[in-house]
Order: sequence, then structure tokens, then C-alpha cells
Amino acid sequence: MAHDHDHEHDHDGGHPAAPMVAEVTDFEILEIAVRELAIEKGLFTVDEHRKFTEWAESIGPASGSRLVAKAWTDPAFKARVLADATKASLEVGIDWSQPTGFGTPSDYTEFRVLEDTPTLHHVIVCTLCSCYPRPMLGHSPYWYRSPNYRRRIVRWPRQVLAEFGLILPPEIEIRVEDSNQKCRFMVLPLRPAGTEGWTEQQLAEIVTRDCMIGVALPRADRKADDVRPVHAALRPVPHEEAGR
Amino acid sequence: MPSRSDLKRLYDVGAQLAPMTHQQQDWPYEISPDAYKAYLQPPHDVGGQASGPSVFEEKEEELWELNTYVTCEVLGWKGVWNSEERRRIGNNDLGASLYYGFPYYGRWIWAAARMLVDKKHISLMELLEKIAEVKARHAAG
Repeated sequence: MAHDHDHEHDHDGGHPAAPMVAEVTDFEILEIAVRELAIEKGLFTVDEHRKFTEWAESIGPASGSRLVAKAWTDPAFKARVLADATKASLEVGIDWSQPTGFGTPSDYTEFRVLEDTPTLHHVIVCTLCSCYPRPMLGHSPYWYRSPNYRRRIVRWPRQVLAEFGLILPPEIEIRVEDSNQKCRFMVLPLRPAGTEGWTEQQLAEIVTRDCMIGVALPRADRKADDVRPVHAALRPVPHEEAGR
Repeated sequence: MPSRSDLKRLYDVGAQLAPMTHQQQDWPYEISPDAYKAYLQPPHDVGGQASGPSVFEEKEEELWELNTYVTCEVLGWKGVWNSEERRRIGNNDLGASLYYGFPYYGRWIWAAARMLVDKKHISLMELLEKIAEVKARHAAG
């Protein structure tokens, strides 16, 4: 739901076109109610909730950027990544069994990295829900979960990628990988020209989140994803708490 | 008890949500085979459906969304529900109106509330009383 309801006023004769956004939303109330009841009933403790929150705030795309940069500079590491990405993740500090000992309850621990070639480009999606390599890339962007992206990327990938500003020539094959509840994917893009002799850290800086989803390509002159419209939160996660 | 005007507003909004297919849906005697198939199509199985060009904007995360994610995961961690219950039953098998009508994490937290009641960890009355209590707390500042 990327639409802003604020401007949808009563313009057609008394039909309430959109719900009013209350001071505190029903979902905020419901979230607090469920969390407090679960704690009161002993289903989990405040400490467990805090531990998971700390983990959730510690993840982000920087881990994936490190993995890509290391794979670009170390062929042996790249071979390990392509053979068993879950295991190779440990070498960039990502343990898929965290934070519970058996991974997150919804992410499982099977992870594969899709290597682009000069004639093959990968892009990931989850058509059924929103599966995403969370431990490696952090939380998915809202548009990745949106019905529009899920509907169209599997059938009209070139058009959708063009809407992201990525126009690929017809001779490059596009392969769309549909994630699922048991296996997560990310893209290992091609190392761009103009990065010869760069250190791993320099390389990691140009591997943005969108490059690892496959809706952008890394460029030597770009350290951030292209600017897109941002829809601000009503009450965002406090910045100092968010480690990303 | 809601007032008559509250009820009218509720019914007015509901009447606009119900006809997702833009056809009369008050329990027809029979439906066509095509309609039968269309109704059984799970609303979340959207891959390949047509839709218009989109602006893929970035949405900043709400605090309640992060908390919802964590609460649902911790409930899974502690074995209160499993992934299938969450995804298929909780978040997806909701009917098209609700599937498209709620925000992404709205479906998640609603699924958690429903599950706690369904599994008798809490009663519906406990949930409603807790919601009223939280609302009152916020109203008081």
C-alpha cells in the first residue's frame, strides 16, 4: 500500500473514501495489546523480545556488500559462496542460525547466491509473499513486498527494471528467481569497470541493496541507490536505535 | 453500543469493501465454473498478473511494524506458532478484501491476535479489554 490516503477527501458526496488516520492507529494499539498479553501469559519474556529486537536492528545490506566485494577479490571465496552460501556467510560475519540457534523462525537457513555474467542478469522476488535474505540484506523494502512488483517482475522484468532506471540490452538474458519459504537468494552482480585495484572496502561501498536484489547494477561512481520518492513513517523506529 | 451514525458510517465503508468482484455476492444459489475457479484462486498468488507501471517508493518503517515483526518472530521462536500457520493461514488466507485492504504488517499483527485467541492462550474478552486499556492509556497521554 504505497498510496497516501491523506489527500483522498470526501469529494464525491459523502462517501468516506478512506479511513481517517487516527492519532494512534488501530495497528499500533493492537501491536501493544498483543505484545503485552503474550508477556503477561508467559509466552515470551521482555528479554527475549529485546534480544530479537537487537538482532533485527543489527541486520542490513552492508553484510551483503561485504560478501560481494570479497567474492570479487577472492576467487576461492567466490567458489565457496556459490557452493554453499549459508556456510560462506560466516566468513563475512553472518551466522544464519542466529538469533535463536536455529535461525529466525521465518527465514530458515538455506541461502543461495546467483552469479551474474556478461550475458545473464538475475533479479529476485517472492511472488507468494515477501521472502527475502533478511540476515544478509536486512529487512526488505516495502516495494519488494508490494503486489505490483510481485505480479509484474516475473512476466515483464525488462519493463519493471526500466521503472527502476535499469535498462538492459536484449542480448542480456534476465532470470527472475522466485524466493520461497525454504530458500533465500541474493544476486552477485558483475564487478564494474573502473574499479581495478580497489580494496574490498572500496568495492563494498558501491554494492548497494538494490544491486543485490537485482534492480540496479553497481557503478564505480555511485555509492547509494538512486533516489526514489520516500514515504515517511508516522512514528518511525527511533534513529539512534536503528543500526542500519 | 455504537451510535446510529457510527453504525451508518461502518456500513457505508463496508459496503464499498465487499464487492471486490463488482458482482452481487449475497450467497448465490449457484455460481459458474469460472467464478468457482476465480474464488478459489488464493489472493496472494499474484505472480504474472497484469498491473500498471509503478513508482517503487521507499517506505520508512514504523515502530509498530518493527515491533510486529519481532513479536511474530518471538512467538515462532517459542513454539507458539509455526511458519505455515503464520504465512498461509495467518497472513494470506484472509479473502481478497482483507488481503489487499490491510497494510503489510497489519495482516501480521492481526494474525497473531487471532492465533492467540484461536489457541486459547487468551480469550476474546481479554483481547478486547486489553485493547481498550491500551487505547485509554494513550488517550490519557
